[in-house]
Amino acid sequence: MSDSEGYDSDDYPSIRGSDSEDEESGSSGNEDVLNTSNNDHGNDDESDSSELHEGVEESDSSEDEVVPRNTVGDVPLEWYRDEKHIGYDITGKKIKKKEKEDKLQSFLASADDSKNWRKIYDEYNDEDVELTKEDIKSISRLLEGKAPHRDFDPYAPYVDWFKWDDSKHPLSNAPEPKRRFIPSKSESKLVNKIKLAIRKGLIKPKKSKEEEEEEESVYPLWGDDSNSTGKNDHLSYIPAPKPKLPGHEESFNPSLEYIPTQEEINSYQLMYEEDRPKFIPKRFTSMRSIPAYENAVKECFERCLDLYLCPRVRKKRLNIDPESLKPKLPNRNDLKPYPVSCYLEYRGHEDAVTSISVEASGQWIASGSLDGTVRIWEVETGRCLKHWKIGEAVKYVSWNPNPEHSILAVSAGQDVLLLNTGCGNEEVQKSTKELLSVEMPMPDDSGKTASSVSWLQDDKLEGIRLRHSKTVTAVEWHRKGDYFSTVMPAGESRAIFIHKLSKKFTQTLSFKLQGPAVTSVFHPTRSFFFISTKKIIRVYDLVKEGKLVKKLETGLREISSIAVHPSGDHIIVGSGEGKLCWFDMDLSSKPYKTLKLHQKDINNVSFHRSYPLFATCSDDCTAYVFHGMVYSDLNQNPLIVPLEILRGHSSTNGRGVMDCKFHPRQPWLFTAGADSVVRLYCH
Amino acid sequence: MVKHKHYRPPGKKKEGNAARYITRSQAVKQLQVSLPLFRKLCILKGVFPREPKKKVKGNHHTYYHLKDVSFIQHEPLLERLREIRAYERKVKKADAKKNRDRANLLRQRRPTYRLDKIILQRYPNFIDALRDLDDCLTMVHLFAALPAIEERIEVKRIHNCRRLSHEWQAYISRTHKLRKVFVSVKGIYYQAEVKGQKVTWLTPHPLQQVLTEDIDFNIVLNFLEFYEALLAFVNCHLYRSINVKYPPILDPRLEALAADLYALSRYFDANSRSAVLDPQASSLSGSGNVESQQIGDSVSESELRLAQLQHQLPSNEPGALMHLVKDVAGEEEEDDDTRECKKLFKDMKFFLNREVYRESLLFVIPAFGGTVSWEGDGAPFEENDESITHQIVDRPMHGRQTLAREYIQPQWVYDCINARIILPTGGYLAGRDPPPHLSPFVDNEAEGYVPDYAETIKQWKTAGRSEVLPLPGVGKEDLEDPQKLLAEGVIDRAKAKEAVEKKKKMMALERQYHDELNKELHGVPHSSSVSNIDNHISGKETEDKEEFDDDSELAKLSLSRRKRGNLEAAEKGIKRKKDHIDVIRERKRKLKESQKSKEG
Repeated sequence: MSDSEGYDSDDYPSIRGSDSEDEESGSSGNEDVLNTSNNDHGNDDESDSSELHEGVEESDSSEDEVVPRNTVGDVPLEWYRDEKHIGYDITGKKIKKKEKEDKLQSFLASADDSKNWRKIYDEYNDEDVELTKEDIKSISRLLEGKAPHRDFDPYAPYVDWFKWDDSKHPLSNAPEPKRRFIPSKSESKLVNKIKLAIRKGLIKPKKSKEEEEEEESVYPLWGDDSNSTGKNDHLSYIPAPKPKLPGHEESFNPSLEYIPTQEEINSYQLMYEEDRPKFIPKRFTSMRSIPAYENAVKECFERCLDLYLCPRVRKKRLNIDPESLKPKLPNRNDLKPYPVSCYLEYRGHEDAVTSISVEASGQWIASGSLDGTVRIWEVETGRCLKHWKIGEAVKYVSWNPNPEHSILAVSAGQDVLLLNTGCGNEEVQKSTKELLSVEMPMPDDSGKTASSVSWLQDDKLEGIRLRHSKTVTAVEWHRKGDYFSTVMPAGESRAIFIHKLSKKFTQTLSFKLQGPAVTSVFHPTRSFFFISTKKIIRVYDLVKEGKLVKKLETGLREISSIAVHPSGDHIIVGSGEGKLCWFDMDLSSKPYKTLKLHQKDINNVSFHRSYPLFATCSDDCTAYVFHGMVYSDLNQNPLIVPLEILRGHSSTNGRGVMDCKFHPRQPWLFTAGADSVVRLYCH
Repeated sequence: MVKHKHYRPPGKKKEGNAARYITRSQAVKQLQVSLPLFRKLCILKGVFPREPKKKVKGNHHTYYHLKDVSFIQHEPLLERLREIRAYERKVKKADAKKNRDRANLLRQRRPTYRLDKIILQRYPNFIDALRDLDDCLTMVHLFAALPAIEERIEVKRIHNCRRLSHEWQAYISRTHKLRKVFVSVKGIYYQAEVKGQKVTWLTPHPLQQVLTEDIDFNIVLNFLEFYEALLAFVNCHLYRSINVKYPPILDPRLEALAADLYALSRYFDANSRSAVLDPQASSLSGSGNVESQQIGDSVSESELRLAQLQHQLPSNEPGALMHLVKDVAGEEEEDDDTRECKKLFKDMKFFLNREVYRESLLFVIPAFGGTVSWEGDGAPFEENDESITHQIVDRPMHGRQTLAREYIQPQWVYDCINARIILPTGGYLAGRDPPPHLSPFVDNEAEGYVPDYAETIKQWKTAGRSEVLPLPGVGKEDLEDPQKLLAEGVIDRAKAKEAVEKKKKMMALERQYHDELNKELHGVPHSSSVSNIDNHISGKETEDKEEFDDDSELAKLSLSRRKRGNLEAAEKGIKRKKDHIDVIRERKRKLKESQKSKEG
């Protein structure tokens, strides 16, 4: 096998086959160049088969200096990588490898040795070879693409290998083809193509450097400041909000109070990840000790994302004093008098007081309780004048508004009792007693009444008992004191009865209510009658035989009580959600105003008869007093001003204030609490 | 027939939000571009998603306005980018066919695009561009400090960023437009006022930046591409406005030394005086890189940064910057603010030791009218110059101190700038723990908490203004009419409140005195009326407060639900702020206590 060493450069190295694997030398990197550059010489047709010849040639030149030293044969060197030997000598003994030098040492040695750059490691023989000057010269010539030897002349006149001076014929007698003498067609085609492309502008001639620079240069883009381009028809540009400016705590040396203590930092771990402060202040005593901010690039990236990914909306931010948001209400002192503080307590009931009613003159007050008693109190002293034991839990009490009678209507269970209160002078007593006497055999005038309500004399309580078929929840008098209505929620289509006291006569109006009735009220001036179900209030005209006049949609879910303004044009509605609706009858069937007042259910609402006051009471043990001014001018909206929150009752079984009623003449409010106390609030 | 929820008879056009807004994927489809290209276009054109009132396709989509999309569609750049894409394919093909000549030829003639039209479209007026410059400056300054990364950030771009940032700083410094500087942990915030616009930007600390893997560099580079173009045009406009040619032609030697900022200021100088750079300069240029090594051992920096920090440029004219300043002053009419800023460091000579932020200080001190030099060979004046008034030192120096100058920490410069007065150097002397560095961007009184040092600075300021030395302890006591004082702006609100309280107390005492006199006159025996005035006052106050509470609650009752929500939100915000301040106060109290206990 031929041994090939690049540095033995006497010969013509390019003729060595490039595929011989055992070729290993310093100049191996240049082989490609070699082979390609010398292709013209026709040496490339030498193949493996010619190696023998090559070897011979090689050995010719170098036999006297170097012995062929390939000790392993034609095998890849990798096989010997991990071995301790590199080959075998002629006797078959292993040739050991040199000790490998420490890398550092070799580096140092190389740094010291100025001739190091010309040293090359020969892997086959495991030795360092120093290139001679000639070697380097030939290598550099090779790199330049020239023949390695300086004396070699590639353009030497051709010496024919075949002498044919004497022969009659040339080796080939073919005439020179025409194509050797005419311009190439394909080349001209190519040139044409390029020409065309340049003309079309597909290929642009390379620009000079100056032109390029000119193109890159910046020029004054905006004209003078007077340049005000008119309105463009694009969408409005919403500028991105500027990043937040840093506060004191972001300083490299903040005041000590801005630095959280270790405990506080630890407590951040317990917080939700969103709530956790993003930045923990730190203190550096000198500027040189500030480290690079590790999130700089990341924050820049996040800002970029915000800029192009976040939808932008113009939002009005209220950066004002919250006080200015509150409506400007008239001074409460100007709206006096109104009930402010608790003046009296009426104690005596043993269970929650469910209902109270004030006598028309304002001298007496009646209260009914769950303990089955009805009591009558003197308002100014708090003395209990009278009390009845009904036996059943009293749901509702209602005083006859006619001052000529002293009658109290009480609903308890399925009965409504009309009681003689015994107040007033003798005339009153007399007329009352007359009214409260029923001839026992009551002739049935109409079949429909008798079946559900029967008028009975109650001797024990000295009054009339109206027996209903179902539980009665409310009793309301007509303003004249002759008619009264009762509500029997379970009665379905016959839930409402209107009774005439003077004739002891009951009338059923079959109103089509959807859902159970809750309360009913007479209109204070006209012949209207209000019936409320849980969601809707219906207004009927009684004169026109119960024609539906109006339907008020409250938007509430659980109406508990309604009250009509003395003028009759305004209604307030309290609901189980703690909401209060104010209706202006003339305005619309939707509430004029809805106020969310109480945390818990509103139990009752009431208007004052003469003062512009109204009140609500609720299970959260408070009663609110409002100023509700109604103007005769139709253009002016009613003025509603919250005046006072009355507290004092305590909660019992989850119920608070059950009922509230105003005094007919004074700005006083009576409240009935579930804590079995009736309170009087005075101005 | 079942009527659909959004039923629309065939042939009827869409209306409302459904017609006006399309989702991103619809937009991409309409534009016939890939998603990355769409992103790039959005970034360059400044198109952002919008929030329709009604989201027709659902809540989880992003919506673009149809006009925005058609705005992109008619952009000539879109066509250009498509061309580029086709061209890249040609190159790829040539490469794949090993047609190297063709590939090289194609590579040389790559089509490019310019962004000038887009910039003009986005910012029809120069002011608009200034308004949006914050992010641009921050990013360009950040990239000027980043190392080049192979296949991600080219060296060329970083060099460009550095050039642009230096040009901007040179303009700001020369025209004295800098207003506030704040050294935070994140970097240094600068705020300048250009043409009435406040421009704030953040420069990172001159240290090796950390590059995280979890960011998409394509997006950031798209932004950077636009910002580079924008800042170049803005700089050009600004330079023209002060009659300086743009782009500045710098001495190639100075540029090679990466002393851009100083070279720029010299360029200004040369330009404004139409003088040629001094020929002797070259004699000093042979300086070694001793200094860079010095910096190198204290701070590990990339080679790039090192080169940047080598401000060894020749100059044998110490007052060059001062000259420059004077020249400009003649040219322009300036507002009071600028004049004040210009005079702050007047007649002061600074010398920067190593280990201080040279870049920043070289920018900041001339912006406020000072003269500055540094340790190193090319500096305008040497350390042993007699006229130096302040030497800025970060590490305490031992020995070899001159009495004629003050050795201060760099923080002093920044604090002076923010306070706009020359602060006493006592607290800032080298080796001491400096007083806290406070943010100039915070309105302390609106925040509700004034740090002690802010209070002190304010006193110094007022003292400086009235030319009277502050008398601690005396001046505070005789605050007679708080209203008047407030009007004069001498004292802050907290003090005014204090004074009001004092006044109230005085009046109550007076009243009591009168009452007692009356009583005595009416012959009422002097009974137990040695009443506690404090009690009286506080009692009245609590009553007041209760009434107020009730009142506010009642007022809330008559609000509509939305308004009430607003109100509650506002109250919540105020409360959060207050809580935060309470925490700070509490910390302060504890700190004081601990200090006391240490002393005691």
